[in-house]
Amino acid sequence: MIKVSNLSKLIGEVQALNDLSFEALDGQITGLLGPNGAGKTTCLRTVFGLLKPDQGIAEIDGIDVAKQPVAAKQQLGLFPDPFGLYERLTPREYIRYFAELNGLSREQAKAASAKVLSKLHMNDIADRRCKGFSQGQRMKTALAQAIVHEPTNIILDEPTRGLDVMSTRVLRDLLRDLKQAGHCVLFSSHVMQEVAALCDRVIVMAEGRVVAVGSPQELCQQTGQASLEDAFIQLIGTDEGIAA
Amino acid sequence: MISSIITMVRKELTDAARDKRSVMAGLYYAIGAPLMMCGMFMILIGQITSPEALNITITHGERAPDLVKYLASNEISQGDEADRKEIELIISPDYAANMAKSQAAEIVLIADNSNEKLQASIRRLEKALQEYSAEMGSLRLIARGIDPKVMQPIKVKVEDQATSDSKGGMILGVAIFMMVYAVFISGMNLAIDTSAGERERNSLALLLSHPVSTRNIVLAKVAAVTIFAMLGLILTLVISKVAYGFVPWQELGFSVNINVDFILLMLAIGLPIALMAAALQLFVSFMAKSFKEAQSYLTIVLIVPMMLSMAASYNIAPDTLQWLPVSGQMQALIAFIKGKELPMMQLALSSAITFIIALALALGMERSLKSEKIVFGL
Repeated sequence: MIKVSNLSKLIGEVQALNDLSFEALDGQITGLLGPNGAGKTTCLRTVFGLLKPDQGIAEIDGIDVAKQPVAAKQQLGLFPDPFGLYERLTPREYIRYFAELNGLSREQAKAASAKVLSKLHMNDIADRRCKGFSQGQRMKTALAQAIVHEPTNIILDEPTRGLDVMSTRVLRDLLRDLKQAGHCVLFSSHVMQEVAALCDRVIVMAEGRVVAVGSPQELCQQTGQASLEDAFIQLIGTDEGIAA
Repeated sequence: MISSIITMVRKELTDAARDKRSVMAGLYYAIGAPLMMCGMFMILIGQITSPEALNITITHGERAPDLVKYLASNEISQGDEADRKEIELIISPDYAANMAKSQAAEIVLIADNSNEKLQASIRRLEKALQEYSAEMGSLRLIARGIDPKVMQPIKVKVEDQATSDSKGGMILGVAIFMMVYAVFISGMNLAIDTSAGERERNSLALLLSHPVSTRNIVLAKVAAVTIFAMLGLILTLVISKVAYGFVPWQELGFSVNINVDFILLMLAIGLPIALMAAALQLFVSFMAKSFKEAQSYLTIVLIVPMMLSMAASYNIAPDTLQWLPVSGQMQALIAFIKGKELPMMQLALSSAITFIIALALALGMERSLKSEKIVFGL
């Protein structure tokens, strides 16, 4: 479970987060939906303790990130934006490295990375260096890194950007599997279809604040609009910075 | 969490070993520098030890064959016409006759004394002529049954204590400096790659979002760079050992003998320096905004240790420098190779200071990695 309460953060002169509070529950896929510049990435970075909020706390499974960063992060997997691959390592080495950093022994890490590699159908590229990988291959590698240690909570920052249909499907299936297994999945997106297709709950963000919370259907009902897109536009009051 | 440090060090080294740029930077220096030094020393030693032949014009040399022979034994002769300096020696027509009669035989030395380039040569010729004159005088006295010592009321006995030492001091300094500097050069590229490079490739934020403390990250990175630097040092020492075998040290009266003792001492002394170099390079690179910026900063920063060790080899302010990092260790190494006693006190203190600087830089880095500005380059 991921819970943020009253987060505020000023970056430069921009109020990136403005008294932001929400929860993402286990066994659910929660979408953080907002236009570009709404503070989605800032919010996720704060959850990881990479940014310090001026106010408020972020908790993972009840552990305060600011106070016990290592313990809190052990419950987290991150699919970052940008990916941050080590181009000179192979996916197998890369995944095993992060598995070990998460406290798995060498043997466990080896077994876990082999498992996740076959789960994501990556065995053909597992022992090639990441340099020169396609966007889809990079995505899979980064995704494998996020779930190899089977954290209870998985955070994905704009996961579908630049992916083709096949890769998007792999990603969706995986997120649904994770949900079935009882994980808490939180992802940020500005792509409507993605959110509508996947999410149990949507948190609509604008200008660092939560504007509305609910399932896609609830949001439509709430605003009296037929599609999530129209509902979204009505909620944030502008159609700027949204991809249909 | 020692295991996470080991994991990170292992990964950094795998990564670095596959990075051609990092490996080549270390290799070029470790192989190139000793060979270049070797060539330089050979030329330098040749210049210091064997005096160049002095070619002058000797007119009517046939009138004084003994004198000409004496000069030739001092490397002063007619030589090729093209190489001759503008110094002329004229033997007067009655030279042989006056010599035979034990009278002053006249020689004329014609040269431009105001020409600075010629002065050393003129002095050398004059000295040779005076020596010849004194020798002839002694012979004449002996022929008359007089001890030639009566002509030498004062005998100046010069005991040159430091010729080979002072000649060699600079050479030794440069040779050891070159080895110490290997520690700075070998790890430099890796240091930039694993800090500024890691941020540029966006993997720094990912690494920091995993459950490892920033302290462990810093320790792992310092360890990885230090290992690379030490490997560079070992390689430099091995290549130097082979290459210096070809330098004719015996002509200087001392030798840079890279034996096992020296190598072990060098490695022991080099370790704290390598730690400091690694911490310094990582610290500066983390401060820089990009890979290229880090490279240009480091080039400037690395002048400081270079100046310290240069100062040590040129004997500038030796009293202060023997306590400072890099220069203190350099002086100890020079003392060891000259066969003197190791200045333990100074060595211990300068090594301790080196270690403290490394520690302070590592702590600074740990702090900076918690700063949003450094991590995201905001």
